[in-house]
Amino acid sequence: MSGTLGGRLLSLARRPMRAWRHSLLFRTVVIAAGATTVAIVIGTVWATLAIQSDLFDARKDQVLAETKRAVDFTQTSVNQQPTATDRAAIQQLGNSMLRNLAASSSTDLILGFPIAEVSTPDIPSAFNIYNIPLAEPMLTDGLREQVRTRPETQWYQSIALPGVDNRPVPGIVVGQQLEMPNVGFYEVYLAYPLDDVAETVRFVQGALWAMGLALVVIVGGIVWLVMRSIATPVSDVSRASARLAAGDLSARLEVTGENELATLARAFNRMADSLENQIRELAELSLVQQRFVSDVSHELRTPLTTIRLAAGVLHGEREGFDPITARSAELLYDQVARFEVLLADLLEISRYDAGSVELSLEEISMSDVAEQVAEALRQVAWEHDTELHFTGAVGDDVIPMDPRRVRRILRNLVGNAIEHGEEHPIDITVAQNETAVAVGVRDRGLGMRPEHAARVFDRFWRADPSRKRTLGGSGLGLAIALGDAKLHGGTIEVWSELGVGTHFVVTLPRGEQTIIEPPIRLEPLERIAPADGSAAGSSTRETLVVMHEPEDDA
Amino acid sequence: MVDDDTALAEMIGIVLTGDGFETSFCADGALAIDAWRVQKPDLVLLDLMLPGKDGIAICREIREESGVPIIMLTARSDTTDVVSGLEAGADDYMVKPFNPKELVARIRTRLRPLSPEGGKTLRVADVEIDVVAHEVRRGGETIALTPLEFELLVALASKPQQVFTREQLLEQVWGYHYKADTRLVNVHVQRLRSKVELDPDNPRVVMTVRGVGYRAGATA
Repeated sequence: MSGTLGGRLLSLARRPMRAWRHSLLFRTVVIAAGATTVAIVIGTVWATLAIQSDLFDARKDQVLAETKRAVDFTQTSVNQQPTATDRAAIQQLGNSMLRNLAASSSTDLILGFPIAEVSTPDIPSAFNIYNIPLAEPMLTDGLREQVRTRPETQWYQSIALPGVDNRPVPGIVVGQQLEMPNVGFYEVYLAYPLDDVAETVRFVQGALWAMGLALVVIVGGIVWLVMRSIATPVSDVSRASARLAAGDLSARLEVTGENELATLARAFNRMADSLENQIRELAELSLVQQRFVSDVSHELRTPLTTIRLAAGVLHGEREGFDPITARSAELLYDQVARFEVLLADLLEISRYDAGSVELSLEEISMSDVAEQVAEALRQVAWEHDTELHFTGAVGDDVIPMDPRRVRRILRNLVGNAIEHGEEHPIDITVAQNETAVAVGVRDRGLGMRPEHAARVFDRFWRADPSRKRTLGGSGLGLAIALGDAKLHGGTIEVWSELGVGTHFVVTLPRGEQTIIEPPIRLEPLERIAPADGSAAGSSTRETLVVMHEPEDDA
Repeated sequence: MVDDDTALAEMIGIVLTGDGFETSFCADGALAIDAWRVQKPDLVLLDLMLPGKDGIAICREIREESGVPIIMLTARSDTTDVVSGLEAGADDYMVKPFNPKELVARIRTRLRPLSPEGGKTLRVADVEIDVVAHEVRRGGETIALTPLEFELLVALASKPQQVFTREQLLEQVWGYHYKADTRLVNVHVQRLRSKVELDPDNPRVVMTVRGVGYRAGATA
């Protein structure tokens, strides 16, 4: 449980990381907002301090002036009083001093202490208004000392006054001397709470922070808008590039305005135009090339027909010729036939290249087709002293196929196997599963080196140019076979080992299905030595041994 | 023999003469119809691509007047030319380069006399076939068929209970002994239906057996 929670937290933490790495927009907004925040914090703190000290100074000056006025007024009024001689009068004078001070100043926080050193013992004791939150201990000794020793000057200091709920309120206390004529001197202290200043500072501070926050949001928003106006075209470009890369040559950008982004879009469009043109040209060239091959092949057909007919006539008459002419007629006849095969194969290849081949599909059993092919080739096999072992599929091997093409594939593979099989038996195996039907053609001939096996499907490729050709193929047979198999959505694979033999496997899918597992393994299970060939292939199932002398060909 | 390639025409002439046929040539499509009317040949070999007038147009014009067997010669087997040639009325086609034996066999098949099987008169649906007189009638009305179409109808009608695959019909009517182009059968069945059926879209005479081939309709 904690694991999943941890994972979720991790993924939550990763999301911004991902956005940071992948989104220019996100990154820029974060940077802009961060920088603005720092600037605003510094600005706000500085402004708050400046305003605070400015307000405090102004208030202090005001307080000092007010105190001086109050003290001066009290001093004047005390001086006008008749000189008090008895204790009662002195006490009354003290009280009137306190009243005057309170009346002429804006504060009730007044404390007065007699200064013993310069007073007569008659001087009244300390005075103050009842129930004020200012008490003697709150005054520092330093302040009192200065007030006592330097009578001509005003002294002040900051003080924390107890406010509502005993919360300290900043204040200022001003101390000065006051003379009671003939009696002595008082040190008086007037304290002024500065909560109005603190209130103003707090308000200004709050306003500044609110403004700062709004500014951060606004700056972030502006940066987001600006970046989006840049990032959107950029991601449009990247989308269009991706479409172009995927082969959609019509991908273009919309050009609006005249700015740098419009220039980018125009440049992109020009690039796409040029690409499209070049690809079109190449495609046209390729089409021209294909059509040329097709046309040449067709144009060759009419004279070839004449040559063939003529060769046929000569060939038919060869018994009446002298031996050299007769042999010439035979060679002519055979080579015209070979030429014809070559031309037909070339045409077929040009059809694949042009993509103009269509399958005519029928539901047919692969075993039937393969058996027919084996049957059709038995004379050739017999001529090569080769046995053909045929094993049909167990179960349903009916698939949609173009039988003409499948026959051609199998004829080609079996023909090759006979030609290169060194007179060892050849296995033709059909198998099926849920997704595919396959035919394997296995010979035990010379085999090929791997690098040769990889090239057998190349056009006009020959493993060994000096190798004898008895069946006279065009060199295009396997290329065509592979083309046919691919048209069916299938494949042809080859396994070959020098001295062991070759195994071709044609695998065709059932309908539209994708082949999950081929029904026949490419690598033969049993590897028999070529010399021991006759012992192999004794199949357990339906086996057709084609070794008997064929009947006369019709 | 209508072909603009004189070497090929001459060579085909040599081959056919060797097999006992009499040949005459025409190298220009525009002159082909006139030559045909003058010569009245038993069979026409027609190249599809001709100067003057193309083979398909010639084929269509000949068909308007006669059911004479026509074999097309073409260099391309994969184009629509073959189908349009067959639809224009050609009985068969050969793709260059062809085997002389094959050509002779095709010609002989088209010229062979029809050997009547079974009775002299066959009935399919409301159509009556007089095999000996080479006549097809509905009610009292005679339907004109080409020899090939007649042969196709007789093949189907002579075994009314049998379903013929396209390959069987190719072998029996066209004389092919190996897999050949089943378009031949399809096109000619369509042509036959357009003549003998009252409603070709709803055939009663030549029935399609889906996935197998064709059979004759039930006798009315």
